[in-house]
Amino acid sequence: MSSLLIVDDEPNVLSAMRRLCQNAAVMPAIHNPSIATFTSAPEALDYLDDHEVDIVISDYRMPDMDGASFLACVKERHPDTARIIMSACSDIDGIVRAVNHAGIFRFVSKPWSDPDLKATILEVLAHRRLLIENRELADEVRAQRDVILRQKLELDRLERESPGITKVRWTEDGGVLLEE
Amino acid sequence: MTPARGRIADLDWIHALYELGQKAANGAHPQQVRQEILEHIVRGFDAESGSIALIVDGTTDQLELAAGTELPRGLIGNPLPRGAGVFGHVVETGQPVLVNGDAAETGLPLRGSVDRQRSTHSAMCWPLRVAGRTIGAVAVNRAETSPRYTADDLDQGQALMSLLALVMANHRMHVERENRILELSTLNATMQRINGMLEDAQNQVIQSEKLASIGQMAAGVAHEINNPLAFALSNLGSLEAYLTKIFELLAAYIDADVALGSTNIPALAAARMLRDETDFEFLRRDTADLVSESRDGLLRVKRIVQDLRDFSRGGVEEVLQAIDVHAALDRTLNIVRNELKYKANIVRNYGSLPEIECMPSRLNQVFLNLLVNAGQSIDANGTITISTGVDDKDAWISVADTGCGIAPENLNRIFDPFFTTKPVGQGTGLGLSVSHSIVRKHGGRIDVESEVGRGTCFTVRLPLAQANASLPNEAEKRAA
Repeated sequence: MSSLLIVDDEPNVLSAMRRLCQNAAVMPAIHNPSIATFTSAPEALDYLDDHEVDIVISDYRMPDMDGASFLACVKERHPDTARIIMSACSDIDGIVRAVNHAGIFRFVSKPWSDPDLKATILEVLAHRRLLIENRELADEVRAQRDVILRQKLELDRLERESPGITKVRWTEDGGVLLEE
Repeated sequence: MTPARGRIADLDWIHALYELGQKAANGAHPQQVRQEILEHIVRGFDAESGSIALIVDGTTDQLELAAGTELPRGLIGNPLPRGAGVFGHVVETGQPVLVNGDAAETGLPLRGSVDRQRSTHSAMCWPLRVAGRTIGAVAVNRAETSPRYTADDLDQGQALMSLLALVMANHRMHVERENRILELSTLNATMQRINGMLEDAQNQVIQSEKLASIGQMAAGVAHEINNPLAFALSNLGSLEAYLTKIFELLAAYIDADVALGSTNIPALAAARMLRDETDFEFLRRDTADLVSESRDGLLRVKRIVQDLRDFSRGGVEEVLQAIDVHAALDRTLNIVRNELKYKANIVRNYGSLPEIECMPSRLNQVFLNLLVNAGQSIDANGTITISTGVDDKDAWISVADTGCGIAPENLNRIFDPFFTTKPVGQGTGLGLSVSHSIVRKHGGRIDVESEVGRGTCFTVRLPLAQANASLPNEAEKRAA
């Protein structure tokens, strides 16, 4: 189950987005996602402290905290959360800040096109899943490397105590050669 | 013998003198008038010759010969030596002088024009004074064959001189006034020209201020409109999806109803009745139209806001690039070809153009606007000619159509934002304004020529290189 958090100071935008993402009839690809919506960025930050969320979508221009600052906070506290910014005005400085500081995944301009937004959300979800999988795999590799390293140390110790013990010499017919 | 007294005392003679003074006011040549006045005086005093000297404007004692009888014409207008001769003496002292016989007898330095021409027998010279100021002097001479002037003659003449001085002063004032009027009318013409230039400049300032304020407003309004537009559009999409589901559900119920056949359940009967009453089929069809028409409306608003925003900034700033304009034109043509192909034959009349520094997609937008406009101006079977070329430091690209043309009264409004003659919904009146601001941003300009019924030709002129920007062209970039 995917989880989304949407922040916009305009409640109607929130309900429209909720309809778009929640309803199977509208967006069948995400099955029954959990959606939290907030009209204020600080409240959304509080919520994020206690809840794990896959994607945060934030409006850019909001009264108490702008979207770029909000998403920068989200990035710092919850780096695994995918971040999308939406804006009704394309002010270049804001976008630059959002990209550079908040490390956003996508910029969506308002009014959005439903199919594009859906595709964007799915893409970001897939991208995020890949990233997480990647990291999990990397963790696994590291863990396995630890095991191998421990075995190697043990082998080295044995070799030091009884040189040659870790090596086996084979004869051509498959016998084992024992010296002395 | 005192014929002089008789004649100059005659009212007719005085009146004639006055008339001569007025003559200048009727446009007679000033020198001519002075000469006539002098001749009148010479006749009045029964003299053989005479002359008038006037003080040159702006000096106190520099005399010039203003008129003279029996003098070579070239002498008129010549300066006289300062303080010399009878004239010099008279102007200096302000007193009239009577000279009889040899000048030496009078003790006067008689070397002026009065006695230059011949040995003077008898002469009188008076100063011309107006309001206590000497403006010149008049002299009359008699030859030896005539009787000499007397002191009486001198006095008699003196009485007339104030009138003559007034006439001369008036005349001079009149000439000055004429000159002033000429100067003023020249000045006036210059002022009018400058005024026209100022007016043009002011119109331009007003125009660009108007554009700037519209731009500012557009940027502010865009945000306010885009938010409600966003949820309205999205909700409409959701509504459509819901309705599809609802109608599917209803269809399933109707199928179930049919399957049930003639089962007699009261609730089912009520539902059937309701269905018959509401013309369910119509609702289903019209709901789809309703949603799609509403979406069209909202999309139109979206496009207008987008255009406005483009207009306010001349679009998104783009990096300057040196591009092949012909390739850009061809790409744009491909986009509009479908729209144009049924009514216009497209002629490409490309000259040779170097690569041009510009913001490529902004420039494409200009071409697109011009081509779409050209297409819309043609009802059927027209031609759109795209020509290019270079002159001096500019590249030019023209789009000419054989369409309906632009009425002269609209010609200077076509670049105004929101000005459109297209039917509602077909044009926002921003296409040419946006194009204009894009081309201006490139340091170029758009010219238009149009004739109603014959067609319109838009010419975009662009500098080959943008000022204070030097960019790698495509070839260099490929090499790098």
